[in-house]
Amino acid sequence: MKNFYVKYKREILVFVATLILCVVFTVLNPQFLTWRNFLTIFQQMVLNGLLAVGIMFTILTGGIDLSIGCTFAIVGIAVATCTVGGMNPVMALVIGLVVGAVLGLFNGFLVTNLKLQPFIATLGTMSLYRGIAYVVTGGVPVTNVPDSFRNIFNGQIGESGIRYYVIVMLVVFIVAHVILSKTRTGDYLYAVGGNEEAAKLSGVNTRKTKYIAYIASGVCTAVAGLVMLASLGSAEATAGIGYETNAIAAAAIGGTSMAGGRGTALGTFVGALLLAVLKVGMVVINVDSFWQYVVTGLIIIVASYFEYAKDDFAAFLARHKN
Amino acid sequence: MGKAIEFVKINKRFPGVHVLKDISFSVEEGEVHALLGENGAGKSTLLNILHGVYGEYEGAVLLHGKEVHFKSANDAIKNGNISKVHQEIMVVEELSVGQNVTMGYEPKKGAFIDFNKMHNDVDAILKELNCNFKSRDIVRTLTAGQKQMIAIAKAIYHHSNIISFDEPTASLTSKETEALFAVIEKLKKDGITILYVSHHLEEIFQICDRATILRDGEFVQTLNVKETTEDELIHAMVGRSVSAVASRTIPCQATKEVVLKVEGLTDTTGGKFKDISFELHRGEILGFYGLVGAGRTEVMRVLVGADPKLEGNIYLKNVPIPRNWNSTKALSRGIGMLSEDRKNTGFNKLATNMQNIAISSLEKYMKGLFFTDESKKLKNAEHYFEELDINPKLPAYMTVNMSGGNQQKVILAKWMSTDIDIIIFDEPTKGVDVAAKAEIYRLMEELVSQGKSLIVVSSELPEAIGLSDRLVIMSEGRITGILTDRSEFDSDAILNYAIGGNE
Repeated sequence: MKNFYVKYKREILVFVATLILCVVFTVLNPQFLTWRNFLTIFQQMVLNGLLAVGIMFTILTGGIDLSIGCTFAIVGIAVATCTVGGMNPVMALVIGLVVGAVLGLFNGFLVTNLKLQPFIATLGTMSLYRGIAYVVTGGVPVTNVPDSFRNIFNGQIGESGIRYYVIVMLVVFIVAHVILSKTRTGDYLYAVGGNEEAAKLSGVNTRKTKYIAYIASGVCTAVAGLVMLASLGSAEATAGIGYETNAIAAAAIGGTSMAGGRGTALGTFVGALLLAVLKVGMVVINVDSFWQYVVTGLIIIVASYFEYAKDDFAAFLARHKN
Repeated sequence: MGKAIEFVKINKRFPGVHVLKDISFSVEEGEVHALLGENGAGKSTLLNILHGVYGEYEGAVLLHGKEVHFKSANDAIKNGNISKVHQEIMVVEELSVGQNVTMGYEPKKGAFIDFNKMHNDVDAILKELNCNFKSRDIVRTLTAGQKQMIAIAKAIYHHSNIISFDEPTASLTSKETEALFAVIEKLKKDGITILYVSHHLEEIFQICDRATILRDGEFVQTLNVKETTEDELIHAMVGRSVSAVASRTIPCQATKEVVLKVEGLTDTTGGKFKDISFELHRGEILGFYGLVGAGRTEVMRVLVGADPKLEGNIYLKNVPIPRNWNSTKALSRGIGMLSEDRKNTGFNKLATNMQNIAISSLEKYMKGLFFTDESKKLKNAEHYFEELDINPKLPAYMTVNMSGGNQQKVILAKWMSTDIDIIIFDEPTKGVDVAAKAEIYRLMEELVSQGKSLIVVSSELPEAIGLSDRLVIMSEGRITGILTDRSEFDSDAILNYAIGGNE
């Protein structure tokens, strides 16, 4: 237990902050503390959570994937087109994942083979992928996605109200956690992000590791795209604009270092949860949604300042104890 | 003469460690005072306290008889007239020399920098220091030695009367070192007090008046350099007698078997080396001597797959290396390197000892096909903590917080955990203290007696001569000499090859 605390100090801290936030919202409006609202929070966090865990893989290697919002749109359009055309829904789902993986692979190619800076490379594909989405659809949404596909994600467990897509998100987080903490790939991801040159000299296949990170980002994004498509029943080229910023925010609040080498799936989960609690809570206490932006911004700043200043803070406390 | 610096009962604690214990000694005005001790003895901590980097400590620091307590390094420079010349050269490459020297304190004309005054002032200082470059030169175009002078010029610009040097010769050639010593002599003549930290004892004898020795955070003694010997200094530093000189304690272990053969290796794009051919035998320690910048590291990087092979042939155990050679393939073919720049390319600063030791041999710590087993990594780390006597013996300790010698041992443990049998050591004892040096030499001998083959790149002549079975000498990207018999190892001849004058 003590080990768990030492290892996940940051994650626990963010979780406690989330609980405090819940208490505040409950005091302001007791309606906050209901099973229904609890489910709403989890439903709210699904998309951002999936995108955040994906982008976290790239951030861990010292990179970034700005193209996720656009990958998200393309996957939606591709799968919508397939299902509307009468394809088997499971087949369409697999195609969606493959499309996400391929778009991630291309990012990986730019970053490792062409050695472009990840920020610039994915800034490029961000526009490129978005453009493809517009060109393919002509700006017209693809609608009437059949229920046979939508039910894969939208169904619920019995009458509990727990949607399948919430379970899907949890499974993705668990898989990410296992990969990062219990496999060689996880060790290599941290090694590359911590010191790429040292990892290379240690015989780590840094190229393959970076490819894995960008493909993981593409696949997680694809899952988010599928969930979106299932819940809306239609796909359009403008989907997901600006989603990458929220995903980065969730990862950062959860303790992912933008310099790479540091961060966990658990932290990103808690970061996404905090943002969802905030979003839902603001609605419940009837605060204008514009304020959400203000509060989210402040939380990002405070969370990263705390990370940066915690040693100073500890020294400050120690000084004033005497 | 009065006392320039006085330390009175300095104590410094970090969480869980007491790094300085009751340190008291003084430095006279106008002397060159050496601060000696092994890595981890507390020299850097003491300097950091003196220069205001660590504000929290017990005890008192007196400068010229007055107690001071600096809040930051800047505060120390501005209000204490005390500057530090760092081990790493810290400059902004794209700015001019003058801008670097005056950084943060540029002469102003209204809201703008007064560049004429800046360059005039700095040129005057550079002239004073006998520097052969100008204030308007861009720093990128200077050599390492010239960049080092910028830090000294900076100290003079701030009218410092106390300057400390933290291993200033670490990245300098011997010629640059001589120039630096001339400057130090001059500073001394001008009445500036100098605190000098170095692992090179011959430097201490060359320029220092007195020497204070620290060991495990405690004050041992202050000696008059003229009245002491190298052995006495080492004994005081280490607490026992250690040979500072590299030497062989076991006979040559080399066999006839060629484990590595390099033919005509050439860097066709960068021109860093040309037509490199040599052989490495099983059980051999092959030395690679040369001046800084001779292209040795660049050759080694190709051998271990860190850089692509452009032209020439490399055979490992008589099998040529594949076309798309990389470090992962090199590892599987049994060759790896301990890099020279330990701090930046040696290990992951965000990782623990256990992780850093395990990273190259993860396939050995598996539980089933997919999952790694932390307990096996731990067992492996603990095994090497004992075998290599790595201190502290804490698997969860961050490698970045270890001393240089122990970091080197962690990296060595990483390679020993793999199955590689050709190990390249690039400047293995750079920034490593005397005792750890001797241990690293002993480990190398142990490795060759186990049948491993070593290449040792060294810029320290005594080390190259003392360790090698055979010695390859490089100059400006070419091999200028290969000495196959230890009896031929003559320092004058080797230096002659190293400066390329073999005709």
